[in-house]
Amino acid sequence: MQELVDSLVADGFVPGGLPLWVAYLGAMLVFGGIVVFVFILPIAGITTWVERRVAGRIQSRIGPNRTGPAGFLQWLADGIKSVLKEDIVPSAADVPLFKLAPYVVMTGFVAAFVVVPFGGPLIIADLNVGILYLTAVTALVVVGILMAGWASNNKWSLLGGIRSAAQIVSYEIPAGLSILPVVMLAGTLSMQGIIGHQGWAPWTWHVFDNPFTFFAFFILFVSALAEGNRTPFDLPEAESELVMGFATEYSGLRNLLFFMAEWGNLYVIGAVVTTLFLGGWQIPLALADHPVPRIVLQFAIFFAKAYFWVFVAVWLRWTLPRIRVDQMMIMCWKYLVPIAFVNFMGTAVWMVLFPAGVPAVRVLLSLTAAGLLVAFARRVVFHVRRALLTREELSFNPLSTARVMSRG
Amino acid sequence: MDATQSLRYFGPELVLTAAIMAVLALDLGLTARGIERSRWPGIVALAGAAAAIGSAVRLLRVPAREWLFGRMLVFDGFSVYFKVLLGLALLAAVWMSLGSREVRGQPNEGEYFTLLLSSGLAMLLMAAAANLLMAYLSLEFASLTSYVLTGFLRHNRRSAEAALKYLIYGGVASGAMIYGMSWIFGLTGSMDYAGIAAGIAQLDDPSRGAFFLALVLVLAGFGYKVASVPFHMWAPDVYTGAPIPVTAFLAVGSKAAGFAMLLRFFHFGVGAAGPVGAVTRVPLLQLGTLLCAATMTLGNLAALSQQNMKRLLAYSSIAHAGYALLGFVVFADAGVQAVLFYLTVYYIMNLGAFWVVMLIANATGHEDLPSYRGLAWRGGALPALALAIFLFSLAGLPPLAGFVGKFYVFGAGVERGLIALVVVGVLNSVVSLYYYVRVVKTMFLDEPRAEDAPVHFALNDLAAVGLLSAATLVLGIRFDWLLARVETARRIFAG
Amino acid sequence: MPVTTAVFYLLAAVTLGSACGVAFGTNILYSAFALMGTFLGVAAIFVLLGADFLGVIQLFVYVGGILVLTLFAVMLTHRIDVQVSNRAVGRLPGLVVVGVVATWMIRVARAARWTEGQPGPPAATTAGIGDAFLGTYVLPFEVASVVLLAALIGAIVVSRKEVKG
Repeated sequence: MQELVDSLVADGFVPGGLPLWVAYLGAMLVFGGIVVFVFILPIAGITTWVERRVAGRIQSRIGPNRTGPAGFLQWLADGIKSVLKEDIVPSAADVPLFKLAPYVVMTGFVAAFVVVPFGGPLIIADLNVGILYLTAVTALVVVGILMAGWASNNKWSLLGGIRSAAQIVSYEIPAGLSILPVVMLAGTLSMQGIIGHQGWAPWTWHVFDNPFTFFAFFILFVSALAEGNRTPFDLPEAESELVMGFATEYSGLRNLLFFMAEWGNLYVIGAVVTTLFLGGWQIPLALADHPVPRIVLQFAIFFAKAYFWVFVAVWLRWTLPRIRVDQMMIMCWKYLVPIAFVNFMGTAVWMVLFPAGVPAVRVLLSLTAAGLLVAFARRVVFHVRRALLTREELSFNPLSTARVMSRG
Repeated sequence: MDATQSLRYFGPELVLTAAIMAVLALDLGLTARGIERSRWPGIVALAGAAAAIGSAVRLLRVPAREWLFGRMLVFDGFSVYFKVLLGLALLAAVWMSLGSREVRGQPNEGEYFTLLLSSGLAMLLMAAAANLLMAYLSLEFASLTSYVLTGFLRHNRRSAEAALKYLIYGGVASGAMIYGMSWIFGLTGSMDYAGIAAGIAQLDDPSRGAFFLALVLVLAGFGYKVASVPFHMWAPDVYTGAPIPVTAFLAVGSKAAGFAMLLRFFHFGVGAAGPVGAVTRVPLLQLGTLLCAATMTLGNLAALSQQNMKRLLAYSSIAHAGYALLGFVVFADAGVQAVLFYLTVYYIMNLGAFWVVMLIANATGHEDLPSYRGLAWRGGALPALALAIFLFSLAGLPPLAGFVGKFYVFGAGVERGLIALVVVGVLNSVVSLYYYVRVVKTMFLDEPRAEDAPVHFALNDLAAVGLLSAATLVLGIRFDWLLARVETARRIFAG
Repeated sequence: MPVTTAVFYLLAAVTLGSACGVAFGTNILYSAFALMGTFLGVAAIFVLLGADFLGVIQLFVYVGGILVLTLFAVMLTHRIDVQVSNRAVGRLPGLVVVGVVATWMIRVARAARWTEGQPGPPAATTAGIGDAFLGTYVLPFEVASVVLLAALIGAIVVSRKEVKG
């Protein structure tokens, strides 16, 4: 943000008599407001629509398609509906805490956006301790969830709250340990600094720097999903067990706030992995000379990368079954934490052995990843084709499941 | 001196750390193979403690006086002396544990030895700490391990209660201490003791009040460690509830380490430039005198009516902290020397007393006074005799070591002109004779009753007790040997 | 009054207010949640003093770790209302002691001349802290890790269920 303001001052957009810190603060607040109201809220809403459409496809049904083109305005309709609904406070609830909890969660969630980059100079505040700050403010979400769980005075809520907190606290460790290799490579905790250490080309990304960071990337993504209470780790709100977990007793706007935080958090996950491992908003400089198209392009590339991982998370949710509590804890403490440690130590050793990095390994790793992606895409195409064929046949005779089964 | 060079003077700590890891790994290996109740963790711990003592003894001959690890610790005769003493306390505690019914064969025995060694390591660090940061860290380390060791008896409510009380008192005391330390840092701008001494020399008069307050707060932490009034309240419950080897270790080791810190802080940090009261112009002498007199008197008076041997020894150890504080209140080298001598003697006799209590608890399952009835006439003549020696020595009767120890402490007090305090101390010694003699009377003059079963002791158990009672006798006569050691150790390196 | 001083007093008020909430609340859960205000206030004061890394670590460790564990412990116990078990220790004598000590403290603290550092321009502290941990403060750093190991073992010894052999 600072450099943007500096350039604006230089170009004479800012009145001359203003002290510089007022300009910085003003710019931060304005940009922060824009981020929250024009970006976070719609993104969270649109993600619900994406999720429902994708879920529809995965489950061979249609999904929301009535409100607006392809049902796109469904999220707005849902939002308005939630806002207009009655805000019920259970009579046995602990009223002050019950009312406070959604705001605490929302604060923790919105506070994370302070350091989330959007492309080029677009970031609310490029803190020195950026990524550390981002992992730290998650703590507020945990406290808010515990607060909600307890204040609802409901067993399901309490269990959901406690499960959620236990899960977030546990998975913070592998997540933190997977962030460390990147911090070591970049030599900074600042989000922009980490992006600046990478280039636009895949082989300059941190994920392909060495085999250890390659695994660290996946551990971070899995841990982030668990921290975001996403399937297969959505035990805190497992519908079949806990109704809706810590949010069971909430209705109306407060319920909406919880879910906004949850879906918005998906984008944060995508932005974090993109920043740390996937080159952030870096574009080939030759593409755009003028600042405005350059920033637009940087924003677009960052958003595309980040949203791809949101899509993957949605995809996983509707493909994988939920795991058990003990399995979740075992996976964290017995597998992810030790592997993350190995990654961390391995990266340190790698940095000592090859201070300049190994280009061959980088290229090899990126080629491997590209190969895996291609193979995966081919499989997807194959299945989609087969599914289309099947549907065509089905359309002739709705009762002909036997023929489909026999095709294997 | 930087970290790598410092390692040469860091032998005992390194050895102990290695032993901690070895015990932990061994215990893990044994558990993984399904072997429980092995005696090997204890034996490895014993070897580790012995090796640490060996390493410390070798350092005794090194004449160097150095800052270690960038002014975190100091290496001097004082710290090495304490390291030997604390190493011996640790060795004795491990040895006692190997023969203790409360510890041997219990679940988590391996962890017990790990924690015991960690506690010893913490105390070694306490003895050498010359920086507020290290002082706080090592004190907290020692406290944390002590809490768990106190609560080691899982199915014993007294043990759990003792651990909880210890934890709460410890939390309050160390909170007060670190707050006081923050004031000292704010006033002097330094964390290492030499820097603090330099800062104090430049304090202006209006700042003395704040400085005194800071010292009072720091004294809360140290006073808690040595169990001086008014921070003594945890001691009786903890000494009663903890397993006896742990009690013995806390009584001698924790107290010695606490005194090491106290002496170093006040003679090195606060008073390096001269007598404390004169330099700092704060009423420290009056405060010390008050604490000392109160500690002696309260400890002895409360001990009079105790029926449980561990509790009796707990109050007696509070009283002895008071005697040792007298040497501290002298605020001079002569006082340091007296405290060192006193603590060494106290180590021998108090450890011996606890050892006998443990042997009798192992044999009879009781720790209260009635179970000592006629002990001498039902198979326990030797332990009874040893206990009598230790108790008479604790009371300060000549020609035993305890007498010499008290003599030096009181002598240092008289030299400084603290006549009133010495009189209080002598009167207290007379009072203490009553409850020590009461135990001796129970063992020798009371007739055993029909329900008192005869007791048996193994020879190897008696060997350690015999060794300690012999030391009590010998040091009562050949005290000049110990005095010469103490003489070289008393000079605290002052930067 | 400069802006930073005003901000400091504001943060100090938040911190102390929450701390009073912790100390005087009769509902132990409210106390635990009030603790969050204290931790956040302290973290903000760190940031105000230019210790950004420390501030974030304060948030990370205390709110994210210690507070959550405290809440866990409280929620898993049954009794939420604090019962005063020892009537002899009332609030009035406590108040008197606190009043006397506080008066003494404030008097001497105002009289004293404290050492003052020269505030430099705000700079990143992370690298300096890292260097100090492996340089000047290597011993406390390593000892702290042994302390944590011992505390970990101790916690397991105290809390683990007995395994039937």
